[in-house]
Amino acid sequence: MNSEARPWRLMGGCALALLAPAPALIAADYLSLADAQRAIFPEALRFEPVMLQLTGAQRQAIAALAGVQPLRGRLAAWRVQGSAGELGFFFSDEVVGRQDFIDYALGINQDGTLRAPEIMSYRESHGGEIRNSAWRAQFARRSNGAALRPTIDIRNIAGATLSCEHLTAGVRYLSALWQVLLRDGAGAAR
Amino acid sequence: MKRTLMPDLPRNPMTRRNFGLVLSLLLGLFPAAMPVQAAASAPDLEARVAALEAELQALKAQLALIQAGGAARSTATPVTGVAAASPVAAAAAAAAPLAPMVATADVPASRPALSWFGYGELNYTRPTDNPADARADLGRFVIGAGYRFDERTRLQSELEIEHAVSSASDPGEVEIEQAYIERELNGAARLHAGLFLIPSGLLNENHEPTRYYGVFRNIVETAIIPSTWREGGVGFQGNTAGGLRWDAGLTTGFDLSKWDATSGKGVESPLGSIHQELALARAAQLSVYMAANYTGIAGLRLGASIFSGGASQRQAGLAGSHLSLWEGHVRWQPGAWELSALYARGHIAGTSALNSALAAQVADATLVPEDFYGAYIEAAWRARAGRSWPFTPFARVERFNTAASYADLGAGLRPLARADQTAYTAGVQLEFAPGVIFKTDYVDLSGGSSADRFDLGLGYEF
Repeated sequence: MNSEARPWRLMGGCALALLAPAPALIAADYLSLADAQRAIFPEALRFEPVMLQLTGAQRQAIAALAGVQPLRGRLAAWRVQGSAGELGFFFSDEVVGRQDFIDYALGINQDGTLRAPEIMSYRESHGGEIRNSAWRAQFARRSNGAALRPTIDIRNIAGATLSCEHLTAGVRYLSALWQVLLRDGAGAAR
Repeated sequence: MKRTLMPDLPRNPMTRRNFGLVLSLLLGLFPAAMPVQAAASAPDLEARVAALEAELQALKAQLALIQAGGAARSTATPVTGVAAASPVAAAAAAAAPLAPMVATADVPASRPALSWFGYGELNYTRPTDNPADARADLGRFVIGAGYRFDERTRLQSELEIEHAVSSASDPGEVEIEQAYIERELNGAARLHAGLFLIPSGLLNENHEPTRYYGVFRNIVETAIIPSTWREGGVGFQGNTAGGLRWDAGLTTGFDLSKWDATSGKGVESPLGSIHQELALARAAQLSVYMAANYTGIAGLRLGASIFSGGASQRQAGLAGSHLSLWEGHVRWQPGAWELSALYARGHIAGTSALNSALAAQVADATLVPEDFYGAYIEAAWRARAGRSWPFTPFARVERFNTAASYADLGAGLRPLARADQTAYTAGVQLEFAPGVIFKTDYVDLSGGSSADRFDLGLGYEF
């Protein structure tokens, strides 16, 4: 084969790959909501939707506890029931990475300790390393979720700095929400 | 967003069975109609039905509350799925069109596909031995745009203006720094095509001023690795759940015919003086790159890369020229510390004929080096201040040589290599708002160089 033709054949192959039919799976979505629920609370029997009603004072209290936040997206919460009673809360949440939203899920146990978050969708070119289990494991069993500090408590991944910091901020927000609204069951409709 | 109501029911036989049971009850059908339930004894079944009825009543009340609250709070509330392991929760999920939401009334159901970002830097530099050369500069102003064509295909682009004004009589430049289409192949790999950054070193892909230490980018990742280094072509990138990212691609490369023997640019940055940046780039010879980065341990990044390709672009007088650059790097973040190290080495083969010609044509010509290299170690300490870490002193030592050796010109004639240089940089950074950083540093170059300088800088990223 002519050696000069090789690069162009490679490029042709790449172009064909680019045009390949899309699989049914949306590639940027790593976990469905149900997958994330099972991953975070594998022992759960059921997830009960929770309607959270925030007063102005509660919003202020959460903001004060959670600190500076990135652009935030949609948030939903579930009360998690196990065979021996209530296990805690499951949250699905969205925070912006650098320019697009990261969909992630978090579990907070009855005692306020965290379960490692799961990344459900990541949509940017760089920073997807936050899916690394080692990075996410840093959150597990933390009891001070509302006070977590990027780089000190949660080490960054070089090359994924903004995603790391913003997801840490999101966890702070959810922890503050739990602390203000859910810890004592107040404000949450069953 | 691809959340759908009961997204996993068809894949979960247990859940499907329970859902069927509840549905049967709701429709007033006999449980015996569900084969899987037929074997249950009558007393068991009655007990289960009674329990389910009680739970169903409770859920109805809850559902009414949710619907009333959700409708009152937002008309843009999206439908959210609920994974239910029990028949009661399954029934609730099937019946509930509204998800439990918090503070989402201002969030649109679908987001715009177009997103904007940017960064920039302003700096002041004052050579300590020659203050008359002090300069203030709007070094960079960059606007980036991303566009999501669909969930698998997106555009990433950056438009940069350097030195504030670009015209025939001004020093500024207008550049497209990135412009590529990225296509997700599956959950772990993607393909990009266009003008993109080469994954070399710690800085090239993370060149925003908030992400490196010092008012200016470090010397090694400017003089040896020509950051911001981009090429046109196609590249694959993949990530594993264990923390390994790999990159490989086929791109344009360098053009030795751009070498200017009459200027010192080749001494400042050998590759920076012959890069093409996809501006009518000669593409008779393409280059390949490969890179691997491991981040599977929290706080660690360990990586290496290699770039290799022809540099003659099949032009007369340059035949046989080949260029390669490889590097290895590590970054480790123990506690408040951030420690980094990098080594990079470049090699340009087949330059004898070109250098002989240049030496014959130009007095005191700047010749093309055969080898060039650089290394640095850096330590930064992020001082605590409440929940943020705005105050970060750092220090860096760099050793580099942009012309460590030259090819033999023939007859035993070999130009003298340059001496290694060492640069000591120390400074502090203050991130006084998220994404906005003030920097100051002092750079001491070895050998009593007149390039020692004091710098001030302001950078931002959004």
